[in-house]
Amino acid sequence: MDQIQPTTDPARPRNPLKSWFDVRGRKVGTWAFALNRLTAIGLTVYLFMHLIVLSTLLGGEEGWNTFLAIARSPLFLVLDVVLLFGVIYHALNGTRVALVGMGFAARNHKTLFWVLSAIGIVLFLVGAYLIFTL
Amino acid sequence: MQNTVSRRSLEQMSMERDRSGSLWIIQAFSGLFLVFILGMHMIAHHFIVEEGLRDYQQVLDYVANPVVFVIEILFVILATTHAMLGTRAIILDLRPSLGATRTLNWILGIIGGLTIAYGIWLAFALQRLVG
Amino acid sequence: MTEKTVQLKVMRYKQGQSSPTYQTFPVTVNENTTVLVALTDIRRDQDSSLSLRHSCHHASCGTCGMRINGEEQLACVVKVLDLGTDTVVVEPLNNAPLLTDLVVNMEPFYDRFNTAGLPFIRESEFLPDAEVAEGIENYMRCENCIECGLCVSACPIMGSDPEYYGPAALAAVNRVVEEPRGLETESLLDWVDNQKGCWRCHVAYECSEVCPSGVDPGGHIMALRRQLTRRRFSRLLGG
Repeated sequence: MDQIQPTTDPARPRNPLKSWFDVRGRKVGTWAFALNRLTAIGLTVYLFMHLIVLSTLLGGEEGWNTFLAIARSPLFLVLDVVLLFGVIYHALNGTRVALVGMGFAARNHKTLFWVLSAIGIVLFLVGAYLIFTL
Repeated sequence: MQNTVSRRSLEQMSMERDRSGSLWIIQAFSGLFLVFILGMHMIAHHFIVEEGLRDYQQVLDYVANPVVFVIEILFVILATTHAMLGTRAIILDLRPSLGATRTLNWILGIIGGLTIAYGIWLAFALQRLVG
Repeated sequence: MTEKTVQLKVMRYKQGQSSPTYQTFPVTVNENTTVLVALTDIRRDQDSSLSLRHSCHHASCGTCGMRINGEEQLACVVKVLDLGTDTVVVEPLNNAPLLTDLVVNMEPFYDRFNTAGLPFIRESEFLPDAEVAEGIENYMRCENCIECGLCVSACPIMGSDPEYYGPAALAAVNRVVEEPRGLETESLLDWVDNQKGCWRCHVAYECSEVCPSGVDPGGHIMALRRQLTRRRFSRLLGG
């Protein structure tokens, strides 16, 4: 079977990581994609951390209270805000990618991006306020 | 009808299908469900329960709720599936060889399976803790 | 007419060289000078060894595609002074083997059209009586795509996977699916239904941003996904 000719360029070898991670000079779509990946990596790490933290419940009240003391520290609250950003961004951008990929708003993807960004900013600000005040 | 200018046969082209489309659809739908479930998870955890879920007994009572129990199990299945497929997509962009891709599929399958199994076991163990 | 001297920092490469270098040329330009004209001025007045590719000078042939200040554009329609920088960086397209200076090998680009069987190149209905040039059977056309390669250069995934079909070929496939004119489309859909095909795209839409003909390859790739998603569900439901 004919194999497709690769676009490999011996004179200018490209680092595959750099091709999506290097957003210099690129448009909002690449920024959205790169940020989606960064938040994805962060959220995957968080998923495992979340399971580990929940496991402390099995160790009884003392272990949980130790975690709570750490969770109420200002540094942890800042990390919570970073997590909130990651969740909101990945959720809304992921929704856009899923909808566009299924053919909804495929030609209006930019409008969808900005509408969802506006919703995301409001959710983030409200959420960040609640994290520090509740 | 035959494609008169085709360099390769229609049969050859049909043979090039793989399962990446199905994986993308699973990724997209698990993501959309996650947005919904995560929304409920966040609202229930932090806004419906007064001052948020904080102390030990509150958390255990919350997990013991049958609706929450089902949601949490669904959550761990969907989140892990979504995370493993996403990790695979990221690593595929680093140009692994065919052999490395096969190994990667197995490793991610095992990690995902173990994580889901552990998550479900944890949910049941917490239920038992409440009694 | 305002004249200004601008520095053109051009990527240089000749076969056998280990890696490309940059050479800066001062060029006097006015408000009508395009990057292509500035480059041909360099070739005429300063360094005749500078290689570049061009033809029509009006964004029709797609041969002068290059990266100007990091952005994929047709050099024939970009005015140097409109760029607003004292130094203009000119580089060849990415994601294509570099042949020399600003010239890349377009073979992998065309190979993607060829391996799809060229079904989207259809007999032109505009030139029924035209005399056919030597070596071809019929005049053909390929919709709006001018085959400049800007989309392939801008695509972040082409840099990750040199075997990705890329935006131009996928957009062309979708044109046939949209408007088959009697051609069989199922096998074409099969061809793009894989990891190297339309599922590889990560929806960055850089291809659509840089396309000088408004083809919107990103939109076409998403349309292919929609077709394939529908087909999967309909097969799942026994349709």
